Amino acid sequence: MATSETTLAALIVATPFAAALLLGCCPPLRRAGQLAGVVALVGSGAALVIAMRLASWLWVAAYRAEVFRLTRGFTPSREIEATLAWLPQAGARPLATVGVLVDPLSSLMAALVALVAFLVQLYSLGYLADERPGGLGRYYLYQSLFAFSMLGLVFSPNFLQLFVFWELVGLCSYLLIGYYYQRPAAARAAVKAFWVTKLGDLGLVLGIVLLWGATGEFGFEALARSVAGGALDPGFLTLTIGLVYLGAVGKSAQFPLHVWLPDAMEGPTPVSALIHAATMVTAGVYLVARAFPLFAAAPGLLTVVAWVGAFTALLAATLALVQRDIKRVLAYSTVSQLGYMMTALGAGAPAAGFLHLLTHGFFKALLFLAAGAVIHAVATNDMFQMGRLARAMPTTAAVFVVGALALAGLPPLSGFVSKEAVLAAVWQAPGLGVPFLMLAVTVFLTAFYMGRAVVLTFFGGSGPAGHPHDPPPVMAGPLWVLAVGSVAAGGLASGRLPLGFAQFFAGHLDATLPHGPDWLPWLSVGLAGAGLAAGAAVYQWGVVSPVTLARGFGPLGRAAAQGYGLDATYAAMYRGALLGGARVVGWIDRYLVDGVVNVASAWTLRAGAGLRVIQTGRAQDYLYGVAAGVLLLLVIWAWP
Amino acid sequence: MTGETLGLVAVAAVLVGASVLVVLARNLFHSVLWLALALVATAGLFLLLHAEFLAGVQVLLYAGGVVTIVVFAIMLTERLVGQTLRQMNRGIGGGAVVALAVFGGIAAVVLRAPLGPAPAGPGPTTAALGARLLDDWVLAFEVLGVLLVAALLGAVYLARTDD
Amino acid sequence: MLRAYLLVAAAVFAIGLFGVLSRRNAIGILLGIELMLNAVNINLVAFARAGAGLAGWILALFMIAITVTEVAVGLAIVIVIFRVRRTVEADHLDLLRG
Repeated sequence: MATSETTLAALIVATPFAAALLLGCCPPLRRAGQLAGVVALVGSGAALVIAMRLASWLWVAAYRAEVFRLTRGFTPSREIEATLAWLPQAGARPLATVGVLVDPLSSLMAALVALVAFLVQLYSLGYLADERPGGLGRYYLYQSLFAFSMLGLVFSPNFLQLFVFWELVGLCSYLLIGYYYQRPAAARAAVKAFWVTKLGDLGLVLGIVLLWGATGEFGFEALARSVAGGALDPGFLTLTIGLVYLGAVGKSAQFPLHVWLPDAMEGPTPVSALIHAATMVTAGVYLVARAFPLFAAAPGLLTVVAWVGAFTALLAATLALVQRDIKRVLAYSTVSQLGYMMTALGAGAPAAGFLHLLTHGFFKALLFLAAGAVIHAVATNDMFQMGRLARAMPTTAAVFVVGALALAGLPPLSGFVSKEAVLAAVWQAPGLGVPFLMLAVTVFLTAFYMGRAVVLTFFGGSGPAGHPHDPPPVMAGPLWVLAVGSVAAGGLASGRLPLGFAQFFAGHLDATLPHGPDWLPWLSVGLAGAGLAAGAAVYQWGVVSPVTLARGFGPLGRAAAQGYGLDATYAAMYRGALLGGARVVGWIDRYLVDGVVNVASAWTLRAGAGLRVIQTGRAQDYLYGVAAGVLLLLVIWAWP
Repeated sequence: MTGETLGLVAVAAVLVGASVLVVLARNLFHSVLWLALALVATAGLFLLLHAEFLAGVQVLLYAGGVVTIVVFAIMLTERLVGQTLRQMNRGIGGGAVVALAVFGGIAAVVLRAPLGPAPAGPGPTTAALGARLLDDWVLAFEVLGVLLVAALLGAVYLARTDD
Repeated sequence: MLRAYLLVAAAVFAIGLFGVLSRRNAIGILLGIELMLNAVNINLVAFARAGAGLAGWILALFMIAITVTEVAVGLAIVIVIFRVRRTVEADHLDLLRG
């Protein structure tokens, strides 16, 4: 049944859809270029306003409910679901429904998505100002489509709808990565992203169907109830939820399906900021958080999630150390931070992971957009060709440093708060000692490579060619907004607000943000500071030459430069398995299937050639046959 | 041994002997002449069977007409005048075997079949034959006439020279 | 008695068949066919005499007439073949060879 909250949620999904529909069905509008951008902005802007309204509304309601609880002793449920029947089946209940689920998790996520989408679309007006109007219209169509898909995913009340939007989001990612479709590298990267995530999606759809087969349910609430009721065998549960987790592995670039994310940087930088930093890749994390009761009920699964997450974080951080392309550094950094989020979820603290998702959305988008401004100004991605940009682009440098510090995790920036929460959660969880160590090392490495990036781009080296300058207001505005968010988003979790993060989520998720031992903040700050200092030391002041350092790590460094051979492995697997299989099938087709036909025809021809001898063309020979026939008839007819 | 039997033996001997010579003669002309003799012997057989009209027709049409036609045809298709070519092909052995087998088969059937006693009395008169031809068999008779015309036309058309 | 006539006819038929199968010249083959038809005629008349009725004689009459036409047309064809291919040997006439 629809309430005003669900109406708002439906509107949030509908406004970008309307923009996309308008742009999709009206080619002249697309060809108008900037006008298309305005249409898209109106769509996402409306979604943003409504999402902010919804989130704050829920927050206030939660505050009141908290008052309720404190005064009256109970909490009214604030989770509202409104669905329409979609696929019918025999009986009263429909097979599948479509609708919206409004709760703290979805409203906050929607607010983040709408905000970043709006800012990125605004930024793109400036970044892609040199594009052909037709191309720009196409870009904004895809952007609106993406916003619609992502928001639909966020508000999905059941697995089936989530899966539909999941695939839509993947499609939009493909379209946007391959925006510069005339570049072969971009086309290949788009296809690679599609294929790798599709592998994960295979697991997702299998898991969904298996769950449905066992329980007859798609809806998250209903599934959580039946799982809590103990109706499902734990081994089966681990299998199916594990398959669902595979989908998250693909989409959120966990090892080993992370290989698509660095290549996805072929798309325009605003695209990277939106979907490969803040929103699409976090869909996997969102899925795990959304289905957390299911994950918690499957024995051993959360441990796997945590270990994979921690390993991904460490692996990606080492890979980020050796990148020359500034966007690839940020891409590997995203993979690493996604690993953080997953580890927190695996440690049983979904709120910590979600908080990190929110803060990461702010500062990673900021970093990408700032990097975009730099790339726009100096026309290269290679950090070693930049340098001394701080003087020429002070605004950009300032916001980039803010983002870098937030990512490294220095207080009082938001990144510190969320990273703290993650580390505390992992420390507290039983049996996750090694993941904790991995995350701790990653803190150091994160700070190091961000320090390296900052120094190489803005402070060190020789200056770039040309006259770089700060970006125009349409690009700078979003940068400032995101910078503010990077600083302030941590305040969500502090005790400053009348209603804390934990209480906001009360009744839905166990959202108490873990507080680790007292030395934990000092450890993380210390590691971050040391990493930054080391980065500056090596690359700015040349205390140790980077070349010597690289030689010191020798083979590891070289392997890292190759992505540890994962891409090569996948390619070999593809070539080996697929092409080898094709060769076998081809052989079977040529020699067995065709062979049967060829043999049959050969025998027919040979038989024919053999029998042809009878046809001598001479009437007398035929008469022999007639005579023989007559004799035969005589024998048959008159034999005694 | 009745007279009929004696006559049958004699005529049959002539017939069979002439037939053998027809198929074995080296010279095609000789074959034709032996055929004429065989046809006349057949007419004799018809006489023994009290089919006088048929015997007459046999002599007229067969021995007279057919033999004449064949002789003309031989004259028109001789490549080298007077040369005797080998007249038998490779299959002489097989032909003999098949012919003997066929004869054996028919003879076996004939000898085993239950046939009634020999009849007596004269055969039908020509008048009776003619009456039946134009009475019960008139359709076949007319068709035969058409056939004869068609054959005539066909033979003329086939054998004409293109000029 | 009847049997005797039938046996004679069978003998002539077999001889005619032998001729058809083993003569080279096309006209020789036609002569063999003549003999076979002749034998059939004898058969017919013998059966007609043995009580098969007037139909036997009539049929024999028809057969003579038809045989004559067949010979005429056949010889016309042989003449045409000779004109075209300059041969009347049956072994050489194998255009229908497979």
